[in-house]
Amino acid sequence: MEDYLPFVISGLGLGAVYALSGVGLVVLYRSSGVLNFAFGAIGALGAYVAWSLLEADWPQGLAWCAAIVASMLLSLAYGRLLAPRLSHRDPTIRSIATLGFALVVVGFTEWYWGEQPRRLVLPTDAGAIDFVLGEVEVRLTHTRALGLALAVLMMGGVGLLLSKTRVGLKMRALANDRDLSALLGIRVLGVDTVAWVLSGAFAGVCGLLLANIVRLQATLLTFLVIPAFAAAIIGRLHSLPATVAGGIAIGVLEALAITVPGFAAFRTATPFLIALAMIVFFRTGTRQA
Amino acid sequence: MSASILNDAPVQGIAAVPASLAEASRRAHISLAVMVGCVLLIGIAVPWLANAYWIKTLTSSLALSIAAAGVALLYGQLGLVSLCQYALLGAGGWIALRAGHGLGWPFELSVLAGGLLSCAVGMLAGLPALRLKGLYLALVTMMMAGGFQVVINVMGFPDGGAGWLGRVFGSERLMMPRPALALSDAAYFRYVAVWLAAMLALIELHRRTRAGRSWALIRRGEAAAVAAGVNILRYQTWAFGLAGFCAGVAGALLAGGVGQLDGRAFTAGDSVMLFALTVVGGVYHWAGALIAGLLLRAVPALLTDFGVNGYLAMIFFGVALLHALITAPSGIAGQLAGAFDAVRKRFARGGKEAGP
Repeated sequence: MEDYLPFVISGLGLGAVYALSGVGLVVLYRSSGVLNFAFGAIGALGAYVAWSLLEADWPQGLAWCAAIVASMLLSLAYGRLLAPRLSHRDPTIRSIATLGFALVVVGFTEWYWGEQPRRLVLPTDAGAIDFVLGEVEVRLTHTRALGLALAVLMMGGVGLLLSKTRVGLKMRALANDRDLSALLGIRVLGVDTVAWVLSGAFAGVCGLLLANIVRLQATLLTFLVIPAFAAAIIGRLHSLPATVAGGIAIGVLEALAITVPGFAAFRTATPFLIALAMIVFFRTGTRQA
Repeated sequence: MSASILNDAPVQGIAAVPASLAEASRRAHISLAVMVGCVLLIGIAVPWLANAYWIKTLTSSLALSIAAAGVALLYGQLGLVSLCQYALLGAGGWIALRAGHGLGWPFELSVLAGGLLSCAVGMLAGLPALRLKGLYLALVTMMMAGGFQVVINVMGFPDGGAGWLGRVFGSERLMMPRPALALSDAAYFRYVAVWLAAMLALIELHRRTRAGRSWALIRRGEAAAVAAGVNILRYQTWAFGLAGFCAGVAGALLAGGVGQLDGRAFTAGDSVMLFALTVVGGVYHWAGALIAGLLLRAVPALLTDFGVNGYLAMIFFGVALLHALITAPSGIAGQLAGAFDAVRKRFARGGKEAGP
């Protein structure tokens, strides 16, 4: 067990980001019925904005906020300008359309900022929490700890928003039946706006964390969130706690796969295998989507 | 009195049915012949007109058109979104290279082996689709494409080495030999065009027979299809198998054109791009597959010629996909066909008015 502990800890960092992305996807899907394939691209653009601002010597905090705001605006722009044109189509088409948006955003980012890979350095990288578990010394950088804390906090926040507030109630109503909700006098566009902005904020935070943990490259980040889709599938595109648990489990299992002889080279396929197994074996309730 | 009027009309209608059926069948035969003729004409004309670089690029375009035809079949006929067709293309290419290098099979047999394996894998990928509709199918196939990307990146493609994986280490990679019929680039282009015409005809014949009618019913709704006696399991799996076969043949032809394949060139992103550009090209018309092939290979090559950044093409493709989904569901091919029809009608009417 002690041999595996370092892998578990390092997997927790990435798992937290998967969980966070998964929650961002599920929140949007639950209220607007769109599974946002452009999630990673939106986050990547935010991270590039932060990188540019840091190069221009902006203070750290301001650059982060600007990144998250950029992601929120981008997400909102799609949600208000393009998504409504497809609102009468079935969920598959509405989700597939975000692939087009993803291509636009990735294309723009790679064209504007150029191809060379960068890494976003956060001040939280320097510090680390050292603690001893059993006989093993474990090191968890502040960035990864921050990601983990954010995942839990943001999930809790969104859970409360959905279950306790008026907006949350409206979001759930919209997820249930859009036309009926509109008849009941719910301002569909207003609620949609909240959902897209919220999802954009999640994308921005995830983009920042991934640009730091992995590296800053738009195409890579766009497809790095595919494991987040796996997490969302584990949550059946509905349950936030299951999505978070799934995301963290995927991160940890992916890190643990290094220790399996012969499988280490294939370990990045872990999320896909888990998601496929989940879909094939636990498919009750997944039919209607 | 009124009964005779009521009876007369149906009798006349029924008498007209065989004639109109014959007319429809004649038109169907003509459009099939036009399709095959057009593709073969392209196969003959391009090697005359283009230089060596463009012949190679357009060969890849035609090969990818075959895979795009498979995507169009699934999306256009059944409304199913499959995001793993480029991975199936890689699987077909792998088998063809393995059979060509390791077993020394003739080229056509290698192509068929690649097609059949991808057909089997495609059917397997389609099995969850019987239970999971729409979005979940897109997600499942995307996960498969992601998994394939990791596996092929590690394994690579066979290049004449020993062992099960057939990899060469330390010495030069071997090229897959081309078919004896088509050793030069121009001849290979014609060879791929013949394959494309055959595959398009195969799909078209499917569409016009029992399979096509069953697909149309399944798309209408499963309850309607079951009520009409359609075996959903068989025909839906059949469609996935046919699309997989297209992808496998395309992969084998691509491998034959270049001589080898690169394990890093089969990402989940490529599968997404193949789907997106097939929708942009048009999924309800055979020309859509040709346009998709051009968009995938020829347009980026053209932009490189003009010194335009390749990522600008990506932005353009993204906008085109959004445009196709929002306002032009039949894609570029549909719009071209519509424009063509409008012009023809205008001329026909003009001729009639001028005539008498």
